[in-house]
Amino acid sequence: MTREITLSKAVNEAIAEEMRRDPAVFLMGEDVAEAGTPFKVLAGLVDEFGPDRVIDTPISEPGFVGMAVGAAMTGSRPIVDLMFGDFLYLVMDQLCNQAAKTHYMSGGKLTVPMVLRTNLGATRRSAAQHSQSLHALVAHIPGLKVAMPSSAYEAKGLMKTAIRDENPVVIFEDKLMYQDKAPVPEEEYLIPFGAANVLREGRDITLVATSSMVQVAQKAAEALQADGISAEVIDPRTLVPLDEATIVESVRKTSRAIVIDEGHRNFGVTGEIASRIAEKAFYHLDYPVQRMGAMDVPVPFSPALEDLTVPTPEAVAEAARRAVRGEVADAA
Amino acid sequence: MPHEVIMPALGMAQDSGVIVSWLKNPGDPVKTGDALMEVETDKATMEVEAAHDGYLADVRAGAGDSVPVGQIVAIIAETAEGAGQAPSGNGAERAAPDETPAQAGAEAVPEGHEVIMPALGMAQDSGIVVAWHKEAGEAVAEGDALLEVETDKATMEVEADRAGYLAAILAEAGDDVPVGQVIAVISAEAPGAPIRRAMAAAPQGGATAPGPEPAARAEPTPQTEPAPGPDPAAAALPTPRPAAAPKPAGRVLASPKARRLAAEEGLDLADLVAAGHQPPFHVADLETLRALPKPAAAQAAAGAGPVGVGEVGVVSAEVDATGFDAFRAWLQEEGTAPSSPRLLAAFAAGALRAARTDEAPLTVAAGTLGTTTAWDDPDRAPVSADLPESEARPRLVLRDLTGTALTGIKPAAAPVPVVTITRRGDTLALHLAHEATLPDEAALTLLSGLADRLQEPLRHLL
Amino acid sequence: MAAQAAKKTGGSRSRKTQGAAKAAKANTEDYLRMYRQMVKIRAFEDQANQLYLSAKMPGLTHMYSGQEAVAVGICEALTDEDRITSTHRGHGHCVAKGAEFRQMFCELLGREEGYCRGKGGSMHIADQAHGNLGANAIVGGSMGIATGAALSAKLQGRDFVTVCFFGDGATAQGLWYEVMNMAALWKLPVIYACENNGYSEYTKTEEIAAGSLTARAEAFGIEAHGVDGQDVLAVNELAQRLVERARHGEGPFFVELDTYRYHGHHVGDINRDYYRSKDEEAEWKERRDPIVNFGKWLEAEGILSADDLVAIGDEIRAEAESAVAYALNAGYPEAGEVDMHVFAGVDHALPYIDGYAKGAGA
Repeated sequence: MTREITLSKAVNEAIAEEMRRDPAVFLMGEDVAEAGTPFKVLAGLVDEFGPDRVIDTPISEPGFVGMAVGAAMTGSRPIVDLMFGDFLYLVMDQLCNQAAKTHYMSGGKLTVPMVLRTNLGATRRSAAQHSQSLHALVAHIPGLKVAMPSSAYEAKGLMKTAIRDENPVVIFEDKLMYQDKAPVPEEEYLIPFGAANVLREGRDITLVATSSMVQVAQKAAEALQADGISAEVIDPRTLVPLDEATIVESVRKTSRAIVIDEGHRNFGVTGEIASRIAEKAFYHLDYPVQRMGAMDVPVPFSPALEDLTVPTPEAVAEAARRAVRGEVADAA
Repeated sequence: MPHEVIMPALGMAQDSGVIVSWLKNPGDPVKTGDALMEVETDKATMEVEAAHDGYLADVRAGAGDSVPVGQIVAIIAETAEGAGQAPSGNGAERAAPDETPAQAGAEAVPEGHEVIMPALGMAQDSGIVVAWHKEAGEAVAEGDALLEVETDKATMEVEADRAGYLAAILAEAGDDVPVGQVIAVISAEAPGAPIRRAMAAAPQGGATAPGPEPAARAEPTPQTEPAPGPDPAAAALPTPRPAAAPKPAGRVLASPKARRLAAEEGLDLADLVAAGHQPPFHVADLETLRALPKPAAAQAAAGAGPVGVGEVGVVSAEVDATGFDAFRAWLQEEGTAPSSPRLLAAFAAGALRAARTDEAPLTVAAGTLGTTTAWDDPDRAPVSADLPESEARPRLVLRDLTGTALTGIKPAAAPVPVVTITRRGDTLALHLAHEATLPDEAALTLLSGLADRLQEPLRHLL
Repeated sequence: MAAQAAKKTGGSRSRKTQGAAKAAKANTEDYLRMYRQMVKIRAFEDQANQLYLSAKMPGLTHMYSGQEAVAVGICEALTDEDRITSTHRGHGHCVAKGAEFRQMFCELLGREEGYCRGKGGSMHIADQAHGNLGANAIVGGSMGIATGAALSAKLQGRDFVTVCFFGDGATAQGLWYEVMNMAALWKLPVIYACENNGYSEYTKTEEIAAGSLTARAEAFGIEAHGVDGQDVLAVNELAQRLVERARHGEGPFFVELDTYRYHGHHVGDINRDYYRSKDEEAEWKERRDPIVNFGKWLEAEGILSADDLVAIGDEIRAEAESAVAYALNAGYPEAGEVDMHVFAGVDHALPYIDGYAKGAGA
């Protein structure tokens, strides 16, 4: 049985199911209990599981993320809620020096099975400190897995896999997508890490898109179809591990690629994926791999400016047309 | 102490030098700075000076010998005795004389607790002994400052880590001692004969890393022995380089995939440029390329089959040089003698023009070893005329080796046709190396035209 | 109550020691074990220092010598199930919690048989079997981990206590105040043990710490104590009490232990004149050495003779030397090990992150 539910509800279901399944799983973060987070994603969980397993913390991000690491090392499976992805900067030591390295530094003796769920995405008129997409920051760190759900279906399956993983997993939800509905089965399912999703098959160009940009790529692909251009859309689902083979295989077929991600373009996810394509599909490329990311400026507040900073379906489609026409790219 | 005279490295990437002559005889007294011998390398001839005072001895290589760089060719002895002995043929293989290890014969180090040069800072390899605060034989208590050590960061005291007697001091002020090396010994009992000496040059075991083998320096390096060279005169010439190395007019910009497919199908993307299409090219442009008419010459290629991409075809001819020699002599008498390459360039351009169908300017580069000049249409100006040098990409390269001892060459692949002219007695030999860019038939026309002109130069003027 | 407990003066120390000694259970075996454990730590550090000085050990290490009574006094009050988190100056905690010389020296030398297969080194030794959650090279970096372990115990209804060792320097980290707040709010079974050795790396503690450290804990309503960290019996007596109370839900606690490090911040910190005098060092070594003083007490109590003490020292030194010799000959990890243990359930991380190898359950 499949019904349509919001991404918010999908995350809520995933956490509830896993908390029912495994008593070691608990949730902590700012305003996660009665408030259910500002986005109401976790609403109702405290009623079922009580305040011992849905713990409201003080506004002490390094403190409670550090505690999650210690709890994970001693038999618990914490899910930490980081209210905004922008707060990652506050917890870098606990996440990157402690959680990410403990298993390695202990020669495999200690494990840190924890989930840090947070979000990304601009155009919510939240200005520069509540709009960032910082997944590249953590994807850079060995020892962390990074998941990027792009729909309600993805969010539920990836969250359940993350909670069952024996390693620290950072999962980024698109805060603009919380109310977006998608078909989600009633039956339990998990989405494995490292298996990209080909949402749409195509012949002429590959659009690799993550999280919030998957919808953008899908819309661009529809527009391109009207022009007779057949675009393949791939959602990697997880950045670490990255399903490189699916991406490379697609580009070898289409010989053109655009990588779209809401992180800043500079030194980011788009550059990483584009370079893998260049390395593994070079002799199949008929056009320079294009990158489209958030503009390399702090996210501005004014809607007139903010909307300029994020790739749009129109911009993606136009870039794809230029590629297919073989119009001279800057790189040439 | 005798000093070795070695074949010096006189230039970059030089493996050996030829002794032209010795300027001193065995037994001669020499002063530092005196010229000892004259050495020739592929770059230059120069004098090698004595680095020490003494007497030239044990000369191991004579005039004409090619000696690997670093090999000993003689010894500067301290006394005249023994100097002047007969050169020894394989002297270089002998171990260096009387290298007595510094510590040999020194007193044995007494037993006891070893004091090592400690690691005092981060990434420190060694420490310099500044001064000893205790004398050899003196009693020391745990914590007593034994010595002062200087590193690149700081100066500090090293303390005794146990009580006893300083039985041996094995490094003196100024010695730069590797970390971990033993610098003193603390014995439990008062030593009978305490030792004090400077750091031994050779390793003393323990934690010390093994030093270089002393004998290794004197060993000749067998692989640098020069191979039996060709004619010495030819070897003295600068290394022949591919003439001119003409710069391609520019890469044809194309996508990696278009480039790969074109190569697989044997298509030349440059043909698209020639046909007036604008790069960069993509896979879609290959359709246009496939549809282009094949070049006429390529179609005409028959018989032995055309020369393919990357293959080199060679056409050869021999000509009696008498006519050409007489022609040059006549020009000389007229007082308008052009250089041999200039003359040949004119002939070759005339021949090439006959082998072509288009009327584009013909740039020909010609030269002897090492120098090359390019001219536009050298056949269309009087051979005595002073033509300006051309910057254009040459259509033909001409190598005039008639003034050298070279008699043949196996050509390497080159993007433009290359004509090499050599001479043996009264015969000029012509070799044309060409790739697919010059179809076989055109190559034949070109070389036979050039041969005709060399045989009867006056025909060229007509 | 708490404020009173935190009060301490230099003059009261000797009285307190004797009081504690009398009050402590006259358990000869415990005393012997504490003495041996302290000697073990000193012997380990002496060997580690020699390994560094003779350039046989890669990297740097931080000596615990002088602080032995802190680690031993506290860890002797813990079970293997109880957890500790340790610091960059962590060999003492590791030994005190039950670790073996061989695996420790192997780790210091980067050998495969080390506690962390040579991947952690001196500053990251973890010994899961004895409840050591690992040393930490970030000053104050383990405060969250210790508090989280205590949260885990509470949530799971388990009765282990976690001791978070850190130095005076770490009290300047904001993390401590965040986690103390939560530990106090949720009454977590954690004991914050601050080893105040007087120096925050190369700076006197009084130059980096305003006010009183115990008062900082008390501000969160946490019961705080000060104790002479050179007196193993006093430390142990206090630790016994606090651990039991924490086990029964009366935590968290804070203890400031007054102690001294004999060496510099690390083994390469040789010239220390600019921040502390040799007289000061001599004073602590000669008058307040925890091993010498406890040995004298054992002698005075007739528990051990002077010869016994020497014999214990010799025996443990020989054990340490043999462990060093063993470690120096032990093998390094294979090159193929380099991308192992990056992720649990994944054999080799490099193919895995590129999607060419699936991890367990992923």
